Formats: sequence, structure tokens, C-alpha cells
Amino acid sequence: MTHKKDNLESNAPAPPTSAEGPRQTEREGASLHRRRRVRARRAARVRGEPPVSAVEPTPFSEGMEPLSDPNIADRIRQLEERLDQMIDARARLRDATGQPLPMSPARPERLPAYAAPEPEGVLGTARELLSIDFYLRQWGRLGLRSRSEEVDEFGYDPVYERKILPFFEFLYRRYFRVVTQGLERVPKEGRCLLVANHSGTLPVDGMMLRLALHHEHPQHREMRWLAEDAIFHFPFLGSISNRMGAVRACQENATRLLDRDALVAVFPEGMKGIGKLFRERYKLQRFGRGGFVKLCLRTRTPVIPVAIVGGEETNPLLARVDYLTKAVGLPYLPVTPTFPFLGPIGLVPVPTKWKIYFGEPIHFDRHGAEAADDEILVGRLAEGVRAEIQSMLNRALVERRSVWFG
Amino acid sequence: MKRPRRVPASPPALGPAQASRSIQTRRTPTRVVAVTGAASFLGASLIGSLEEDERIGRIVALDVTATPNAGKKTRSYDVDLTQPAAEARVAEILSAERVDTLAHLAFLASPTHATAWAHELESLGTMHVTVAARHAQVRKLVLWSHTWLYGAHPSNPNFLTEKHPLRAPLTEPYFADKIEAEDQARKLNERSPGAIVTILRAAPILGPNVRNAFTRYLAHRFVPTAMGFDPLVQFLHEVDAIAALHLAVVRDARGTFNIVGDGVLPLSTVIKLAGRVAVPIPHPLTELVGAAGWAVQLVAAPASFAKYLRFLCVADGQKAREAMGFRPAYTSREAVLDFVSAQRLRDVRLLSENRA
Repeated sequence: MTHKKDNLESNAPAPPTSAEGPRQTEREGASLHRRRRVRARRAARVRGEPPVSAVEPTPFSEGMEPLSDPNIADRIRQLEERLDQMIDARARLRDATGQPLPMSPARPERLPAYAAPEPEGVLGTARELLSIDFYLRQWGRLGLRSRSEEVDEFGYDPVYERKILPFFEFLYRRYFRVVTQGLERVPKEGRCLLVANHSGTLPVDGMMLRLALHHEHPQHREMRWLAEDAIFHFPFLGSISNRMGAVRACQENATRLLDRDALVAVFPEGMKGIGKLFRERYKLQRFGRGGFVKLCLRTRTPVIPVAIVGGEETNPLLARVDYLTKAVGLPYLPVTPTFPFLGPIGLVPVPTKWKIYFGEPIHFDRHGAEAADDEILVGRLAEGVRAEIQSMLNRALVERRSVWFG
Repeated sequence: MKRPRRVPASPPALGPAQASRSIQTRRTPTRVVAVTGAASFLGASLIGSLEEDERIGRIVALDVTATPNAGKKTRSYDVDLTQPAAEARVAEILSAERVDTLAHLAFLASPTHATAWAHELESLGTMHVTVAARHAQVRKLVLWSHTWLYGAHPSNPNFLTEKHPLRAPLTEPYFADKIEAEDQARKLNERSPGAIVTILRAAPILGPNVRNAFTRYLAHRFVPTAMGFDPLVQFLHEVDAIAALHLAVVRDARGTFNIVGDGVLPLSTVIKLAGRVAVPIPHPLTELVGAAGWAVQLVAAPASFAKYLRFLCVADGQKAREAMGFRPAYTSREAVLDFVSAQRLRDVRLLSENRA
């Protein structure tokens, strides 16, 4: 019986007709119970008593008129007799072979719990708590409780974010006390690329920027940020930031996002930005190969330079040790005043005061899409954006009086 | 030659997208379509759906066993592609039957321990088929392939297009043979420019009937995963797979197409939806555990598949949508749910197994 049609049909709740007889697969207990009831009825019939089954309140006869028509009672009796014969035949077969019929569940105790009535009382509770199924079920429920039904095409999971957001809210409001300036320069709608300096040994600037736009922007715009490939090599880091809205940085992904008129943030310094030593703080590194400029030229997207001040002091990096770190897949081992010495606690960032500046939008509209292939032009435009962010940083650092209080 | 899986009979109904496209420019009603791997799930289902298509005059089924769906139009031939003489025999059949379109589906749906035999069947079998097709001047070749051939890499974009190079590990014979098969098909395209070569790269197929590496992966109660990794995955419903094949046979679309369901979902969600328990394995150990498990036949796939539990390998179906007019009826999530509904019944032995 390997025909697809049959398989499909058996998905539907089959009516208990006689043709379906050998497929009847109730639990052992239920069938025993039924057999006992049938025996009682048979005994009553032998004694000459009127059949009680016709008026017996079965689950199906509830709310129905009591059956008085003798024809119907006869029909029911006939059906019951057929059922009796079938049950007896099955019992005989089982007795003969000594094992259950092939179509009956081989391991009845493994049936899903909804098929069984909930056991009552302390004993029932104890039995339920002792079964493995209970824990498997709870485990499944717990796992899906913190997950959305569906994620978007880049894996952003709003339910998961809501779960984990209070921690980042705390960082944003109380710990780093983020303030913003110039947010009105971010357009109310339409595609836009934010280009920012990257910082912190554990980069949380993407998330802070996202929260800033979500809380402070008049339209509460959703921002997606592009994260460097490296984090997707690591367990937990990649999958968690993916669920929080990070997208792997590459032209294809960014183009796809911008084509949907999204607000996207990039950190063109990449890993070099994260790995800046303390003495190099706020000195912008090379802006990759100008990929973000090519992206803007191809998709006709304006760039908004963003300077994040405060982030680069959170984990002052004293040295990068790169002996043997490739073996565990790390580009280098960061050494901060606290990190390897205090263990994981040493990675807790320092509560600096953060300030995020949004610059004037830069449009590349006067260059066509074909300008993306002109490496000299791309390099010059990228350098222009870099210089703009650097000057914003320099101005902000002059204004700043304290690392801790801004 | 034994098949890794036997196949259920009648084809699922075509998706609504397919039905609406059945009005087409009328070709000669005596169009002949040959199908290799005709006893496999895809082959049998394709034959079933072609039997009902009045544009198709005759179907030539090539396999080592009888096709379960053979109808009035079908003529079956016993051909073993692993034999050295297969090329001459296929060429003879193709020219005798005057075959117009050849659908080459003789591929394994899940990896096998008999790698030498698989190599003969997939790589050399495709060579035999393409050479025979060139001799018999077959107008069109449709080749079934897999999006897994793109390889799972942390540097993959979220949606791989057809232009992306095939970066699956070549150390794994399952992938290497299929990549070689694609190369053979492309070679046919170069050598005889008149011929239309359509390569369909399908996402992992899920559905109530199909059996493949991924359904085997989800068939156990405890499912190995890589600790801390949760890649996005996509699926193709079996009905859509057959609809895409039918479309490729009926319409002339040259080139390579990703055939995928809409939407993606995290692997962890798939496992939860299937009611399975994920067993996270630290990722440096996955290869080792996978190799050990494969050696004793505990897991469904060899160690090189462990990468697919860690990194993205999701394809973009835009090109098939635009150039072929293929619109999947099921999303990835719906395909999972449809598979799970049948798998639940299989778990409690209410659904008879389609034995391998």
C-alpha cells in the first residue's frame, strides 16, 4: 500500500466504516474498555433485556433525540454485531500470532499524549512527570516560545529580539546614556545608507545605532546593519546577531536590502575597526575597497556619514596577540586592561558616555551607475566620505570634556 | 542496480501556477519525451503528469526497474546507465523513438556508501546520456541538480544566484559527481549549440512522499546540530518540484535555474516543527562525529554535510520566476509542515513506509 493517494487519504480522519476495519488503531486500553462494554451488552441481549446501547449516552448521542425508531435500533444492533465479529477476529489473530496486528501501533505507549485522557490525581501527575515525552514536549514549547512563527528573508526574528532587547535597552539608556544629534537628517522614508566608524572589541555599535533610530527618529525607522563575515564563523555570535537584524556584509545582500528601500548601516572599517589599538582610537582605518560607494552608485542611494563617539573607549585594546589563535579560528586575541586576566568578566565594556552624530547626506547622483566600475572615482568618493566622518569625529572630540560624562 | 529509494505511484496534482499555464502554443501533438531514472520519485511523478498532458505524444521511460506510473503513452526500456554499453543503447533508443526532449533524472537523492557505483551512475551515466543525446540529436535536455552544489560557506550571500560558482566540497563524491554531471550538460550545450540545455537546481525537497537526505535527517527523534549555529534553510515542496520539471519539459528555457520555495526559516525552527530534539554538537567535533556516525550508518549523510548545519546555502529563485514562469505553490514553511504531517503518522506507524 505505497500509493500516494492512500497515504494522502489516511491523513484525513477516516470514518469508522467497516472497510476501514483493519486500520482501526485505538489505544490498547480504549479497545479493552470497548470490548468490555460490548461483552456486557451481549450478555444483556442473551438475557433478553432490551438493548441499552441505543439510548446509552455516548459522546455522539449527546444532545440528540433518544432513539425510539425500532429500525434504527435494529441497524445499530447489526452494526454492533459486525463490530463484535471484527474485534473477536482481531483478538483471535492476536492470540494465534502472539503479537499485535501489523497496522496497530507497535509501541502504544509512544502515542502522542492528546490521544490519551489526562490521568487524574497525584499518581497521574507523577506518572506524567516521569515520562520522557513530558520533558520533550516542554522542551519544544520552551524553544519555540522565544521564536517567531516566521522570520524575514535575512533571518530577523522580532519575537527573539523582543526577548533580548531589555538588555540592550539597559545599555542604551543607563549604561552608555546614548544621545544623538542630527537625526532629522535621516530621511523619513526611502533607501539610505549610514556609514559609521566601527569600534569596541565586542562591537555593540550596530545595535546602539539601531536603537537610536528606533527610539529617537520621528518615523521610528527600522535599521539593518551589515556585519563582517568573521562573526558568522563563530558559534552563537553569528546566529544571535542574525536574529537581531544583522546581515552579512556583501554586495548582494546590501543591494537586496536597498532595493526594498531599507535603511542600512555599514561599518566600512570592518575587522580593522574593531581591532584598533587604544592609541589609534578615532583614527579611521582604510575604508575597505570602497564597496559601499559602488553600492550607492549602483542603487542610487544617498550616504549619511555617522560618527559614534564613546564607543572606542569601551574596551581599550592594548595589544593583539596572534600566536596560535588561528587554530581556534580567532584572528587575534584581544588584550585589554581586564580581559585575559579577569576572564570573561574582563570583556564587560566600560560605561563611557556615547554620542552619535549624523552628518549631512551625500548624494552621488551626478555619477551614473556605470561609474561603479571606475576604481579611481570610487576610491576618491570613499575617501571623501572617510574624511567627512573623520572631521566630524575630530570636532566631537574637541567638544567632549569627559569620557565618562560627555 | 538498486535504487536508494522506491517511489510512490501517482503524481501529486500540479500546483495552481502550473494549471494556469497549460494553455500554450500548440506544438506537434506527437512530441516524445524520454525520462531517465523513470522509477525514481521524480521520474515516476513526472511521467504521471506528462501522461495527462495532451501536448506530449509519447513518453520513453529508461530505468532498471519498471515505472510505477506507466500509462498508455509510456514505453519502458530496461537501461542500466552504469554499464559501459549504455551510451550506444541510449543513443539507439533515442533515435529509434525520435525523442525530442530528454529529462535526465537518474541521480541519487541521498548519499550512499557505494560511492564507486554512484560515480558510475551520476558522473559517467550523465556522460553516456549527453553523448547519446548529441548522437540522436535530441532537441532539449533537462537536467536535475541541487542548490546544495553551491556549498555552505560563511561568505555566501543570503541568496545565491545562478551566476555564483559551485563551491560544494569536491572531496565528497555525492557533490563531486553532481558537479561533473552539470559540467557534462554544459559541454553538450557548447558542442551542439542548437540543443537547449536546462539545468534545474532544486532546493532540498520536502513533502509527504519524497525520501531524500533531508527527510532521513529529520526522521529520527534526536537530530544532530552544530552548537551555536542556526543557518537559514529553504525547501521545495515535491509538488512544486514536479511542476518545475513539467514546466521545463513543456517550455523552452535555456540555462540554469534555481528552483526553490519562497521564504526561509532557521534550521532550529524546522527541527522544532518536526517535533525533534536537537542534539547540539560543538562545531569542531561535528566532522568527527559525522564521520563516525556515517561509518556505522547512524547518520543520514557523511561528515562533509556538517557544513550545511553551520552555514547558509540558500538560493534565489527570481530567475526561474521571470524566465520560466515558475511560481511555487508552497512556501518553505508549508513544505515543512506538509512533510511533518505525514512524518507524524509514519512515527506512530499509521502510514505504511515507502521502503528504501
